Order: sequence, then structure tokens, then C-alpha cells
Amino acid sequence: MAGPVKDREAFQRLSFLYQAAHCVLAQDPENQALATFYCHTERTIAKRLVLRRDPSVKRTLCRGCSSLLIPGLTCTQRQRRCRGQRWTVQTCLTCRRSQRFLNNPGHLLWGDRPEAQLGSQAGEQSQTTTAHAEHSPPHSSPPS
Amino acid sequence: MSQQAREDQLQRKAVVLEYCTRRKRKERKRKSRGLSARQRRALRLFDIKPEQQRYSLFLPLHELWKQYIRDLCNGLKPDTQPQLIQAKLLKADLHGAIVSVTKSKCPSYVGVTGILLQETKHVFKIITKEDRLKVIPKLNCVFTVEIDGFISYIYGSKFQLRSSERSAKKFKAKGTVDL
Repeated sequence: MAGPVKDREAFQRLSFLYQAAHCVLAQDPENQALATFYCHTERTIAKRLVLRRDPSVKRTLCRGCSSLLIPGLTCTQRQRRCRGQRWTVQTCLTCRRSQRFLNNPGHLLWGDRPEAQLGSQAGEQSQTTTAHAEHSPPHSSPPS
Repeated sequence: MSQQAREDQLQRKAVVLEYCTRRKRKERKRKSRGLSARQRRALRLFDIKPEQQRYSLFLPLHELWKQYIRDLCNGLKPDTQPQLIQAKLLKADLHGAIVSVTKSKCPSYVGVTGILLQETKHVFKIITKEDRLKVIPKLNCVFTVEIDGFISYIYGSKFQLRSSERSAKKFKAKGTVDL
């Protein structure tokens, strides 16, 4: 399934907005309002065009107030034990909303599994370089 | 009707005295994710502090934007028609671009140049070289965006959309293009 052109442009735009938010925060750690605005725009675009995002990128954005989460700066990360298992808890400082992730070294994300690599373009949205944004792994068809 | 018949009717029928609507359940579901009014109260917009931050802090953002647009158009000076680039610009994001006002109904806006920081439904927020934050309405204004020798004019009256909605909307050539 080759990615249609509109999607590629939209993904590039999302990736640009994400990097712009990082860039703004790097220049000025105090003012998070602009970075939050960019992330909010990003979320609205993704909602409007129904674009799939990679979980590693989704986890750095707060779902409640859509601000960029950077541990140490905008959010706190703690390790906790609950019911005999180890969880990582991320709490956003602006809206005080927390996310919990299970610490299971054997846990594979759906995108990393070999079954999900059926599409032509594999790979996740890169965070660092300004390179051409790639699609997040496409939703694989159910096994026939 | 006799009295007994009336009493029978009243006693055996259910009469609705009061209405109790179930509005509370619907409201609870919506507030858990959106939080729109409360978000805006948390000052998502600018404080006055950024005016102390210099224009030079936003230059890397502009560089990032230039690279993004070059990537989008696949070239510096392609011989392709400017229409392709226009179509791409419509869907592209303008945050971080150097924008200047060429024509406007209000003469005091003309000539304002700076980096675009925020774009909302009716307004551009621009920071000029003198570190002043200018809020310019899109209506009745013509903006100029320049990239690598390509100058494009943006008619603000047709752009009365939030930037996120712009990438989802198809633009038609309608009406006269004027201020």
C-alpha cells in the first residue's frame, strides 16, 4: 500500500510541528505556552485527518492539556510498585494528569512486531533529524 | 361523566406530575477529554515575558521552517510551475515563516515584517525585529511569504481558518481576489 501524497505532506507537517515545539523549548525553557500551542495544533490536525501516530511519539505528549512532556522540565517520572508489578508513572505538571506504563521487558509494541511490517514503508516517525517524515507502520490486515 | 367514573380514571391512571431530565450523564462524558475552557484559562497564550526574549531566539525556528519547506518542494529552484508550490503551501504550516504585510485596508499595518509565532482563526501573531509582538488580523490584508526566491502572496480574507483546519480543507477559486 503506497502512501498517498496528501498523507505524506500531512505527516511532514506533523513532524515539523513536533520539532518546532522542541526547538522553541530548547531556546527558552521557561515559556511552555508556545510549545503547547504547537502540540495542540498537531493534535487537531491528526484528529482531523485521522493519522496514526507512533506510540513513542504519543507518549511524549500529554493527552489532557496537549503539552510537550519532557521529564525533569514539564513532567515528573516515578517508578512505583502496584500489585506486585513495576510501573512507570508520568505526571504532567500543568494539568496534573498521570500516565502509567508497565515495566515489562518482554513487552513488544504492535508496531515492532514482524506481523505489522507488511506495508511497504516500515519505520517510525523520527524525532531528531529533519529528514523526510515516514509513515507510522500501517495497520496490518487481519490474517486471512 | 359521573363522579365515580372520574375517580376511577384518576385513581387507576398514571399522571405525570414532574419531569426529571437526565442531562447530567451527558455532560460528564464530554468534560473528561476536552477541557477547552479550563485550558484557555491556564494561559496557553503568550505572557508578556516573551517580549523580553529577543527576536534572535526565534531564528533557529525560522531555519527549521526553511528546511521543512525545501523538503516539501523537493528542490531549491525547480523549473516546475509555481502552481505546484502554491498548492503545497496551502497545506503547509506557516509557523516560523518570515511574513510581511504588503497591502492592507489599515495603513498602519503595511510594512510589518516578522516571524509568525501563532496562527489562530482570524489573526496572525508576529514578532518583529524590535522584539514587539504584533497581532494582525487576517481580514483585508495581503501577506507576502518568501522562500528561496519564490514570492507568494496570501490573501488573508480567504484564510479565515485555524491552521489545523487548513490542511483538511480544499480551496476553490471563488469570487474576485481583492482586499
